[in-house]
Amino acid sequence: MKILIYIQSAEGKINPISLESLVAAQKIKEEKSAEIYAVTFNAEIANELSKYDVNSIININDDNLVEYSPLHYIETFNQLYKKLNPNIIIFGHTYETRDWVPRLSARLDIPFLSDCVGMQMNDSITYTRSLYQNKINVDLSISSRSAIISFQSGAYKIDSLNQGSSNVELVNVDLSSVGNKIINEAKFKDSDGAIDLSAADFIVAIGRGIAKEENIPMAKELADLIGAQLASSRPVVDSGWLNHSLQIGSSGQVVSPKLYFALGISGAIQHSVGMKGSGCIMVINKDANAPIFEIADYGIVGDIMEIIPKLSSAIKEVNG
Amino acid sequence: MKICVLVKQVPNEDAVIKIAPDGNGITEDNLTFCTNEPDTYALEEALQMKEKYTESEVVVCTLGKNSASQILKEALAKGADRAILINDDTKYNDALSAAKVIANVLSKESFDLILSGLQSDDDGHGQIGLLLAELLDMTHASLVVGTEIIDKKIRVKKELENGWFQWAEMELPASISIQSGLNKPRYASLKGIMGAKKKPIDNIERSQIEITDADNIKMENVYLPQKSKETHYLEGDTDSIVGEIIKVLKDDIKAI
Amino acid sequence: MDNEQREILEVDFLFVGAGPASLAGALHLKSLTKEKFPDLSIAIIEKASEVGAHSLSGAVVDPISLNELFPNLSNEDFPFEHEVKKEYMYYLTKKSKLAVPFIPKPMSHHGCYIASIGKLTRWLEQKCEEAEIDIFAGFPGSEILYNENSVIGIRTGDQGIDKNGEKKPNFEPGVDIHAKVTFFGEGTRGSLTKQLINKFNLMDGKNPQNWAIGVKELWQLPEEKLPPGYVAHTLGEPLGHSLFGGGFMYSMKNNILDIGIVVGLDYKNPHVDPHHELQLLKSHPWIKNILEGAEILAYGSKTLPEGGIYSLPKLYVDGAMLIGDSAGFLNGQRLKGIHLAMKSGMLAAEAAQIALGANDYSEEQLMNYDTLFKESWAYKELYKVRNFHQGFEKGLIYGMANAGIGLFTGGRGFGIYNKLSSEHGHIHMEKPSTSFDKYDGIDYDGKYILDKLTDVYYSATSHDEDQVAHLHVVDPSICIDKCKEEYGNPCQSFCPANVYEIVDDGEERLQINFSNCVHCKTCDIMDPYQIIDWTTPQGGDGPSWKNM
Repeated sequence: MKILIYIQSAEGKINPISLESLVAAQKIKEEKSAEIYAVTFNAEIANELSKYDVNSIININDDNLVEYSPLHYIETFNQLYKKLNPNIIIFGHTYETRDWVPRLSARLDIPFLSDCVGMQMNDSITYTRSLYQNKINVDLSISSRSAIISFQSGAYKIDSLNQGSSNVELVNVDLSSVGNKIINEAKFKDSDGAIDLSAADFIVAIGRGIAKEENIPMAKELADLIGAQLASSRPVVDSGWLNHSLQIGSSGQVVSPKLYFALGISGAIQHSVGMKGSGCIMVINKDANAPIFEIADYGIVGDIMEIIPKLSSAIKEVNG
Repeated sequence: MKICVLVKQVPNEDAVIKIAPDGNGITEDNLTFCTNEPDTYALEEALQMKEKYTESEVVVCTLGKNSASQILKEALAKGADRAILINDDTKYNDALSAAKVIANVLSKESFDLILSGLQSDDDGHGQIGLLLAELLDMTHASLVVGTEIIDKKIRVKKELENGWFQWAEMELPASISIQSGLNKPRYASLKGIMGAKKKPIDNIERSQIEITDADNIKMENVYLPQKSKETHYLEGDTDSIVGEIIKVLKDDIKAI
Repeated sequence: MDNEQREILEVDFLFVGAGPASLAGALHLKSLTKEKFPDLSIAIIEKASEVGAHSLSGAVVDPISLNELFPNLSNEDFPFEHEVKKEYMYYLTKKSKLAVPFIPKPMSHHGCYIASIGKLTRWLEQKCEEAEIDIFAGFPGSEILYNENSVIGIRTGDQGIDKNGEKKPNFEPGVDIHAKVTFFGEGTRGSLTKQLINKFNLMDGKNPQNWAIGVKELWQLPEEKLPPGYVAHTLGEPLGHSLFGGGFMYSMKNNILDIGIVVGLDYKNPHVDPHHELQLLKSHPWIKNILEGAEILAYGSKTLPEGGIYSLPKLYVDGAMLIGDSAGFLNGQRLKGIHLAMKSGMLAAEAAQIALGANDYSEEQLMNYDTLFKESWAYKELYKVRNFHQGFEKGLIYGMANAGIGLFTGGRGFGIYNKLSSEHGHIHMEKPSTSFDKYDGIDYDGKYILDKLTDVYYSATSHDEDQVAHLHVVDPSICIDKCKEEYGNPCQSFCPANVYEIVDDGEERLQINFSNCVHCKTCDIMDPYQIIDWTTPQGGDGPSWKNM
């Protein structure tokens, strides 16, 4: 079995979701004795990848591939597919992936199971997708010879990556047939973007237990210290203390970050349906009977007003 | 300019989803349905384009069961000119199979633009717009938060990773996937609803479309996500609790 | 009333609310007039996003009105669940039940059908579409339009107003719909009906209307535990003798159990919480047993007008008639209102047809509605139970005795009085008690016994958060300054959807979680100061009930 995995990078840094999807590839390698071919368009990244357990690193250096360009990426993979004939092509499910991989799927005429949250190894592999906004899961099996899979951020953890060593192979592709019907201009940052909570890796969420609007900066400080996005349950928004765009729940946003730190949230079903898919749920609440403890990974029965300030100081010390 | 907007009928956001007794999907008996919310932004974008470029026609199209004609009527009431119902109650487990059916129908007309919502609230593949681009040989863009039509080209503002944005200039015909929130979808007016009754809805049966579904993807199991969760309680005085939290944040989560 | 430029839509006849009364009325009117007036335009406006989404009832339906409306169809053609086969009445004690051995014929459901009003209205909607009656779902009636003292139509609600009352980019003004006759079929405690009644003093000389609240849940039973056609009503626990009402259980298709409780909205104890009463009902060992292994499907609530014939307002004014629950056509003794609602719509349609022939829509013409009503079986039926609810003002035993005696005396109150008077329900409320602990023992297991917030989740109700709250409290300072002391803020208890909360974030205030509202109207009815005014929220907002 042959796996082709694309390692996305930007500004010389590997996209962490690509590394997470490499964990998935390595699991398949283990269980099904598969070979992993990691693909990158950046020579430095290629070197970095040599410390992971893959069979080969394919580095393609082409001017057209230095910056993200969907039609060139697609044609590149079209040629790689013909050359290597992989069974599975793996991606991390990033914004970039969304912008070209579906088209690749049609180009190669193979199915693309996007945004998978897990896999099961049986006689054949099944892939799990989450439907109806995280309300139900479905396991899918593939009967075509090959398929494309992308994995959701947080589906696998980077610290499960196997180390190893492998060589870099330089490959050329001929992109002369690719037209320039799509011309990307320079990237820029926009100041008035709406907050997309679903893109946050870490979220600190406050509930009624925050008690007063004056206490919110305390939570914001904690969020900033750990690089988290601040969010809340309904009562905080209803009181007018935070904007509705920060609301999590059935009438707000549905999120599944790596860490959901719930402060003073009781966990009514309207809220928990918006976050129970999170990687790690840490809860602080005064009420030991709050339903949120049922879905918590780490539970602290305590007073957020006492714990948070001390926690923030301790983090400042660690960060130095 | 001929614009096609793809819409999908999905269960209401607040619907309580239950697994069907035979394990094959979900029970639909107690569900109310509506237009997939991301699609409403795509439709609004198309209607605004029509207002700007008066020689335009907006055709709304859906792949769905009979009941999906309801969302087509709503789109017509909002201002779309005509509608196409690809009448099909197949449950497609992957996006490519569905896209091929749609492409077969849309290829019969030459659309300048195909607009779709970013993804559906039920299956959430997020692929149809781009699949159609390939199948119908159009340019494409995803996560579009702004559009500008200039002559025979379209400029789109795309959302990238980590708060970055980028404009792209693309030749028409193009298929673009619209990010939610870029506009405020209009309400259907009473007049619009009455006018919609006179607008045509083309019903195309799946059987009329000569494509055999590759049937590559099978649903093996449908279930409620159960996390076999064991809650670790962190106990002790405040200082020791804080210490334990730091450990988790540092070693497990790697947030600090 | 404002300076907004609004479109005017002219129709011939307009029905407000797509419930059974309006749907039957519109269909009947169409069939009466289609030969002579083939181009007559009949329209129905409905605040829910689709017909049936805001409809809730028990229900056990008497097919008589459907038979009249569709003489060529038989009962098997109607969208019923089951014909009533086995009916029971039980008196519940805390642990067990006593079967009432004999159900008198006037209270029997024999010949009736278990039904979902949602399914019924959707079926009637289809008939309306076939008859080319325009139904506009997602358009609430928000104002009555007058020409001096004549009703000339309805203004629909504006869309796209934010929570500060400012227009959003997609603002769409409401439309003025002008009609020769407007039929008010808004259902229980109609918001426009309330205005009309007040403006024209339509309740002068009548008993004040009295309501009850129905709270119900649909459960998916794992297998057939109750036979098809099973109907049970309960008295006794948990309501006891001082609360009017009782429980009900009907078996629907596909092993779905329809279980609920009706509580009269004229109680003394301000702590009464109808949602909690339903949880107590389900905690009864007999019912707990039936629910074992079941999964909840839906939750909902609505009030019902119980006052009977003496609480019917004057039914007509220039250019308008009141039909269905908005007027109060409900037989409290039989616990049936759907057939009467439909009949009232049909009678109003007949009056409209006469008015059309005379080209005169004044109240002198529309008085025919009242005349036709008095000549109909609907009047006879309601007359027989005219004193039913009033008897319960003195408690359960009195009420039962009165009802029982009424069976033999053609409805005379206590066998002697032709007409018993009644009082407004909300005035009975007394001071809160510090020792009230009825609900303390409820074991919320999250599986069968659900807390209010969880139940609200299963009502599938939602409202655009960015709009002005549709529940207007005239003076919220009363909540803290007076009500807290006098009644203990009963809105927190009588609302089945957790809309009202007294919160303390530095200072105490009333918080209105309007997004939870299930449109039952209890607050508008039961608030002891009568300062809550329920108005229509943005079109399409509210519950998404399918088969309630």
